[in-house]
Amino acid sequence: MSSFPLQHPAQSASLDSRTISRAKLGDIDAFTAIVEAYHARCVRFARAMLRNPDDAEDMVQETFVRLYRALPRYEERQRFESWLFQILGNCCRTANTAFQRHASRTTQDDEAVERVPSLDDPTAQFDHEWSEAVKRALAEVPEYNREIFLLHYIEGFSYEEVERMTGVKQSALKMRVKRASDQLRSRLTEETR
Amino acid sequence: MTEAERDPILRRALDELRKLPPPDIGAMRRVVAAAAAARVTPFDGEPGVVSPRRGRSIRVWMAVGMAAASAFVGFALRGAWTATTSSAARTVVMVTDSTRSPLRPVVATETDAAPISHQFVFNSRSAHTISVVGDFNRWNPAKAAMVRSSDGELWSVTIPIAPGRHTYAFMIDDSLFTLDPTAPKARDPDLGADGSIVIVGRP
Repeated sequence: MSSFPLQHPAQSASLDSRTISRAKLGDIDAFTAIVEAYHARCVRFARAMLRNPDDAEDMVQETFVRLYRALPRYEERQRFESWLFQILGNCCRTANTAFQRHASRTTQDDEAVERVPSLDDPTAQFDHEWSEAVKRALAEVPEYNREIFLLHYIEGFSYEEVERMTGVKQSALKMRVKRASDQLRSRLTEETR
Repeated sequence: MTEAERDPILRRALDELRKLPPPDIGAMRRVVAAAAAARVTPFDGEPGVVSPRRGRSIRVWMAVGMAAASAFVGFALRGAWTATTSSAARTVVMVTDSTRSPLRPVVATETDAAPISHQFVFNSRSAHTISVVGDFNRWNPAKAAMVRSSDGELWSVTIPIAPGRHTYAFMIDDSLFTLDPTAPKARDPDLGADGSIVIVGRP
């Protein structure tokens, strides 16, 4: 359906099926290769889902721990990265629920302020403001639409794959992606006025 | 051309969101160390397991633990862990202590953490081999091979399992992953599929 250029960074990471087979047998070097291939993508996804970088790092770690424990049961007819992002999505949703109930987010803004780079360069400042605007706009997209949007447009999974990963029908997935896109565009249009 | 391709604002937003964070070697090392530690852990959820997780993770685990404990108490109060004995397969807790309060933590003391013998039973006349695989034996079919009874139909094995909630299944002929038809089922977040649930010990 979509002709939008999807990105598959992991496919260029030369992670072959032998590496996964070795990791299934408990080879920690093979597992390390998996972590190296997917860690950055997982962090990107988790940050977009959770907003707080520290929470995101925790969930990425939790995801890889679960993955390693479950590897002996992994069936290779299933696409590996679909399985990985399925676990990551589960972790992020669970974390969001737990954080909404129990955690105070009052320190988040202070931490973010500390991480702001030097903005003497006007171009850098413009880029930073745009980056923050995108993050704010994305955070306003409901979690159930945001996850599908990220899986499809950012992580490059087809609707067929996302359907297998989430159990949500493709017609509903497309509607969620459209709603997320509309909301993102609308919010960013306001920001750029 | 999709709507996203036509819209310059959305296209720019996607470009921004697609930027990968720089490689964090320290974080990757922590991930590998935590996974390796988790894989050699004797039993899932056993307290005292040291992993290189950062301090903030404690909050996550507390929240997840509270949710799991709540679910467990509700599950136990409904008596859902009681094994059915009239069906094709059943699980039987061999050692229990009826004097404990129903609201005590599952693993509270060293005695509580001691493994409890647990028998798994499965009916199959056609199988050549059957094993129990679960989080308690790292899903290794070689760890708990079942023994066929003299009538050729009933398979059983008794193994020590740490008290608590465990996910398991039967591996038939080293190839067929089968749930226990008489046990409660729950979605295994690792596999994204259902697993059979057994609760060993008393809450």
